[in-house]
Amino acid sequence: MTTNSRPTNQKDRNKPAFISWWNHVNTAMSFSLRRLWFNPISTWITLAAIAIALSLPTGLHLFLKNLQTLTDDQRQIPTVSLFLHEGVTEQQAQDRADLISELDGVTKVIVQNSEVAFAHMSELMGGKETLESLGKQNIFPHVLVVTPDLSLSDERHIPIQELIKTLKSYPEVKSAQSDIEWVVKLRAIIMIATRIVWVFGSLLGLTVLLVVGNTIRLDIENRKEEIDVTRFIGGTRAYIRRPFIFGGLWYGLFGGIISLVVVHTSLLFLIPPVDKLAKLYSSHFTLSGLDFTTTFYILIISCSLGVLGAWVAVSRHLRKQEVIL
Amino acid sequence: MIQFQNVSKQYPTGQLALYNINLALTTGEMAFLTGHSGAGKSTLLKLIAMLERPNQGEIIVNGQSINRIKQRQIPNFRRHIGMIFQNHHLLMDRSVFENIALPLRISGLHHRDIRRRVQASLDKVSLLNKQKANPMMLSAGEQQRVGIARAVVNKPTIILADEPTGNLDPELAEDIMRTFQQFNELGATVLIASHDHSLIERMKKRIIVLQKIIH
Ligand SMILES: Nc1ncnc2c1ncn2[C@@H]1O[C@H](COP(=O)(O)OP(=O)(O)OP(=O)(O)O)[C@@H](O)[C@H]1O
Ligand SMILES: [Mg+2]
Repeated sequence: MTTNSRPTNQKDRNKPAFISWWNHVNTAMSFSLRRLWFNPISTWITLAAIAIALSLPTGLHLFLKNLQTLTDDQRQIPTVSLFLHEGVTEQQAQDRADLISELDGVTKVIVQNSEVAFAHMSELMGGKETLESLGKQNIFPHVLVVTPDLSLSDERHIPIQELIKTLKSYPEVKSAQSDIEWVVKLRAIIMIATRIVWVFGSLLGLTVLLVVGNTIRLDIENRKEEIDVTRFIGGTRAYIRRPFIFGGLWYGLFGGIISLVVVHTSLLFLIPPVDKLAKLYSSHFTLSGLDFTTTFYILIISCSLGVLGAWVAVSRHLRKQEVIL
Repeated sequence: MIQFQNVSKQYPTGQLALYNINLALTTGEMAFLTGHSGAGKSTLLKLIAMLERPNQGEIIVNGQSINRIKQRQIPNFRRHIGMIFQNHHLLMDRSVFENIALPLRISGLHHRDIRRRVQASLDKVSLLNKQKANPMMLSAGEQQRVGIARAVVNKPTIILADEPTGNLDPELAEDIMRTFQQFNELGATVLIASHDHSLIERMKKRIIVLQKIIH
């Protein structure tokens, strides 16, 4: 009768202790799943609440991430276009480009040959003949397309303006045009929006916690008799707690999965119009979905919230019970 | 071995249920507990199973003072006791089989062993054909027998039964008492609270009479 109830202390009975633990876990898992399955209405309401609460921050996050890719370096924007004087030769342009690419805060410099620019323009206008028939000569100068390193400009955009000033001061440069301004502004907005997503995310995470906690609390109320009987015949706290914790885990897991489905469905719904818009801007931009890591994190977070909510609810109940014993 | 030394129990309501009880049961003994309604029979059994705590005195079970058992040791302590409750405490949301399996699940047995032992236990109370039924669909006597099957399924060293034959016809009551006797012969200490004087006298075991406290 004096044997310790903690299996870890029974060295000689280690194996049966592990087996009985495993049997406990199995029982708790299947039992909690069955309970969800046989109470479909309350289960679906809870899952829907969790899924909605998780979809909102996930969706916002995805939106921001896509917005951010608009400013990615690979997309060739933002850039500073340096239009060179007409007399500048291609060789001179190339030399200047090499010098610029050495500068701090410059990622890449491309020389856009005037011939190429002319050809491209002609094509856009409907064939070389059209332009030529209009009596146009190749009036395009050589252009240097400078891609600045925006990582320097996240906090203050002064370095970019300094850079533009420097670029403008070169004798070959006639004028400079940049699409950096809006990118810098967009970045600032994204930064604020990211914080907003965090605030929303935390609040909605708290909502998930409360929803699961309350569902489990109601479940405990309904199963008071069972909990008492289990205690009367020797169920440990861990044993009593386990099915509820698994219940929380299932709510978190399934809620998370549903929210991912919701987000991806909405995304599929958005892709065609966005592609159309992108085409109008002759951009290669397409909406991208959640990558594997993010998906994984979202599921981890939702499961943790479910478990935590259940844990709080059960512990509260067991503490209350202790007085009565 | 179960021993009470000057044990008193007063409920938080102020009701004095037991006053200065001294009592000793040796290991492997079988005894009956009787007394008027409200004399404190159920309370005494609950004290042994640590479902209530005494206000005064010492209770020794299997050589250990239960006052000194720590909170987290209680579950393990209770697993060695088979308790049959006066109001069965069966769970109505699951089958008879699952009700009886509960102590075995708590002990972490594998389903195969659980199935075997539950069926053996059901066989002892002649309810093998009702294992899939819901306890709600059973008669009061059948429910009581399910409670008994659940109490003995884990082979406890101490069996405490609170009015186990209250709703049974005389033959079945005697049958059940014989079943308890068999468990006793296998080594379990058995203490049964009962009103049924003619039956307990026929069993030829020690009878402990609780007097009702008069204020
Ligand atoms: N949980 C409780 N809270 C307060 N008082 C209680 C509680 N349980 C029992 N009592 C009181 O303690 C006294 C003894 O009760 P107990 O249930 O032990 O009697 P009993 O001998 O089992 O009676 P019966 O034969 O009717 O089952 C009674 O007066 C009862 O009112
Ligand atoms: Mg009673």
